[in-house]
Amino acid sequence: MHLPSLNVLIQVTVIGLLTGGVYALMATGLTLIFGVMRVINVAHGAFLIFSAYLSYWMFTSYGLDPFLSIIISIPVLFTMGVVFQRYVLSRVKGDPGLGVLLTFAMALTLEGFMGSLWESTGRSIRTAYTSKVFPIELTSELTLRLPWVRVGGLVAATIALAGIYFFLKSSNLGRAIRATIQNRSAAQLMGVDVESVQALTFGIGLGTVAAGGALFSLIWTFNSGSHEEWISKMLSIIVLGGMASLPGTFIAALIMGVTESVAAVIMTSYLSPIVFYLILFLTLIFRPQGLFGVRIREG
Amino acid sequence: MKSKVWHLVISIMVFSLLITACGSAATTEAPASTEAPAQPAVTEAPAQPAPTEAPVEQPPIRIGASLPLTGRMSEPGSAAKQGYEIWAAVVNESGGILGRQVELTIVDNASDQDTAVADYEKLITVDKVDLVVGPFSSFLVIPTSEVAARYGYAFVEPAGGAPDVFNRGLTNLFFAQPAPGDQQAIPFSDFVLALPEDQRPKTFAVVSQDDPFTLGVMDGVKAALTGGGMELVFDEIYAPETTDFSSIAIQVADLDPDLIVGGTQLQDSVGQIRAYQEAGYQPRIAFFTTGPSLPGPFREGLGTATEGVFASISWFPEAEEHQNADMVAKYVEMFGGNAGDIPEDVANAFTVGQVLQQAIEKIGAVDNAALIEELHKGTYQTVVGPLSFDEVGKPQGSFMLLQWQGDTFVIVGPGERKRAEPIVPKPEW
Repeated sequence: MHLPSLNVLIQVTVIGLLTGGVYALMATGLTLIFGVMRVINVAHGAFLIFSAYLSYWMFTSYGLDPFLSIIISIPVLFTMGVVFQRYVLSRVKGDPGLGVLLTFAMALTLEGFMGSLWESTGRSIRTAYTSKVFPIELTSELTLRLPWVRVGGLVAATIALAGIYFFLKSSNLGRAIRATIQNRSAAQLMGVDVESVQALTFGIGLGTVAAGGALFSLIWTFNSGSHEEWISKMLSIIVLGGMASLPGTFIAALIMGVTESVAAVIMTSYLSPIVFYLILFLTLIFRPQGLFGVRIREG
Repeated sequence: MKSKVWHLVISIMVFSLLITACGSAATTEAPASTEAPAQPAVTEAPAQPAPTEAPVEQPPIRIGASLPLTGRMSEPGSAAKQGYEIWAAVVNESGGILGRQVELTIVDNASDQDTAVADYEKLITVDKVDLVVGPFSSFLVIPTSEVAARYGYAFVEPAGGAPDVFNRGLTNLFFAQPAPGDQQAIPFSDFVLALPEDQRPKTFAVVSQDDPFTLGVMDGVKAALTGGGMELVFDEIYAPETTDFSSIAIQVADLDPDLIVGGTQLQDSVGQIRAYQEAGYQPRIAFFTTGPSLPGPFREGLGTATEGVFASISWFPEAEEHQNADMVAKYVEMFGGNAGDIPEDVANAFTVGQVLQQAIEKIGAVDNAALIEELHKGTYQTVVGPLSFDEVGKPQGSFMLLQWQGDTFVIVGPGERKRAEPIVPKPEW
C-alpha cells in the first residue's frame, strides 16, 4: 500500500466516475429484468459482448460509428429480448431457478456462436477519436485528461438512463412495469398484461445493453469469453444497488467505478476488486436489501 | 502384469535382433556412404540386369515420429505433422539427403505419454526406422527422449524447452527452437544497454500480466536493465482478465519513466498503449512481449500508435531465413490458406528437419552416434535463424528484435539479422 500523489488521486477518481457511468448503462437492463421477471439474466454479459461485436462488425464492414450504429443494434437486441422471453424463458415461469439455468445456457450458446464467427482474438474499435482527450487545466501542476470515449459514454448513459426513468415514471407501460416489479399478482389483478410487460421489459433491458455494448466496444477489448468477467461485475453492481432499483444501480455503478480505479493506485490493480466486494459484503451484512432496495416480506 | 512380462520378453528379443541388424546395417551403410558424393544413380539403373528391386537405387531414409494428432494437444501436434511433411516434400523434390529420399512414418499418440513411449519403442525396434524426431511439447518429449537415448538414437525435437527436458543428463536430445521462451527479451535488453550514453534510458517501468510466460520474460528484463544501471521506478502485475488500464497508466504517466516494458498477450498490449495515450504518457522506448508480433490485430487496435514499438519474435512468414520462403510456399501449396495462417509449430517442426539434414550431409552417413556427436558441434541454418546446441541440447540461437516502422514491423537486430535501423527515441503515440 502506498499513497500516490494528489494529482494521481484526482485523475483516477474522475476516470472512475466516467467509467461508472458506462457501468450503469450496462447494468440497468439487468436490474429491470430482475425486477420484472425475478430472474437473474446470466446471459446479460453475453448479450453485452454480442452487441459490442455488432458495433464492431458494423464499424469494420460499413464504417458506421458505434454512436450511430446503436440505431440499428438497439432494435435488434430489443427483438432478441422479446423473442427470448416470450418463446423460451416464459415456458419455465413457475421456477426462477430453471430460468437462471436457461439464461446460462443462452450465455454459453452466444459465446460459442460469437467464438465461431469472430474467433478468440481480442477486438476493439478504433475510431478517429480513440485515445483523444479533453485536457482541462485545473492548476499549473494538474491537467485533467478526460478521454472522449468515456465522456461520451457518461453522457450517453445519463441520457439513456434519464429516458428510461421518465418512461417508467410517466408512461402507461412504464407504470405497468413498475407495478409488476412491486407486486406481480396485484398488477395482474388490476388488468396488467404481465406476459407482455415481461417480454417488453426483457426487450428494453437488452436495448440498454445494446447501447452499453456500443460504448464497451469503444473503450475495452473483448472476445467471446469476456462475458463471464463482466456478468459478475454487473451482478455485483445491481446487488449493491438493491436489485430492482434504477437509481440504486446508477449510484452503485459509480461507486464501483471509483473504488476500482482508486484502489488500483492505492493498493495494486490486482487487489482493487477486493475493495468493491468488501463494500458489497458490508452492505449485505448491515443493509441486506442493498443501497436503494426495499425490504419485502416474502409471502 | 502378464502383458508387462510379455512386453519385456518381446523387447529383449527385439533388442537382440536389433543389435544384429545394426551390425549388418552398418556394413551395408558403409559402401553407400563412399558412393554418396556421386550423382544419384538413377541413370545407371537401366544398365543393371533384373532391375525389379532396383538395387542401385538407394533405399529411402526412414524417419519416425509419434505426434499428438488427437487429444488435448492435437492442434499443435497436427501443425508439427504438417511441418515434417513440408520438410520431407522440400527435401525429396531437391533430390533427397545423400541421394536418398526421405520417408516419414508418423503415428498418433493421442496426447498420451504411455502411448508415445510405446510408439517410439515400436518405431525403433519393430519398424526399424533410421532416425526419429520428437513429438510436441515437453510433456511428451521428456519420456520419449529416454526411449531414443536407450537405443542410441539422436532426438531432435520441435517443442519441449522446459527445464526438466535438459536436466536429465541426456546427450542425444536437441531442442530446435532459437531459445527458451523466457529469454525472448534478451535481444531487447542487449540493444538498450548498448545505446550510447546520451540515448540510454535512465528509468523504466514494468507492467505485466500475471502469467508464467510473461513473468518469466519480465524477470529477465528487470535483471538485465537494473544490472545495466537503470532504475526500476514502477513494477505492476495485473490479473489476466484485466481490460482497463487507466489507473495504471495514470500512475505511470505521473512517474514518467524513460522506458516501458509490457508483459502482455495481445488484448492487453492494445489496452495498455491506449491507456498510456489517454494518460499523456510518452516513453522514449517501449517493448511489449506479445501483441506487436501479431501484425493484423495489433495494427487494427492501435493504428499509427504502433510506430516505434519493440517486441521479440522467433519466426514469422516473411522472415528472410534459410529456406523460409520455400517452406511458406510449400505450406500454401500443400495445405492451402495463406502465409499469415501458418502456425509457428509448423516452422519448429520444419527446423528439426533442416537441422537433421545438414548434420547428416556433414557427416556423410545416416549414423545416429556420429549424428549426435556432430549435432553438439555444428551450427545449422534454419527458418528460425542459425542454431547450435550445448552439451545438454539447449539451443544457442536468439530471438529477433522487431520494431514497428510504418504499416508493419521490421527486424532491427540482433547482429546481421538486422534489416532496418532502429528508431530511438520512438515517435509519440
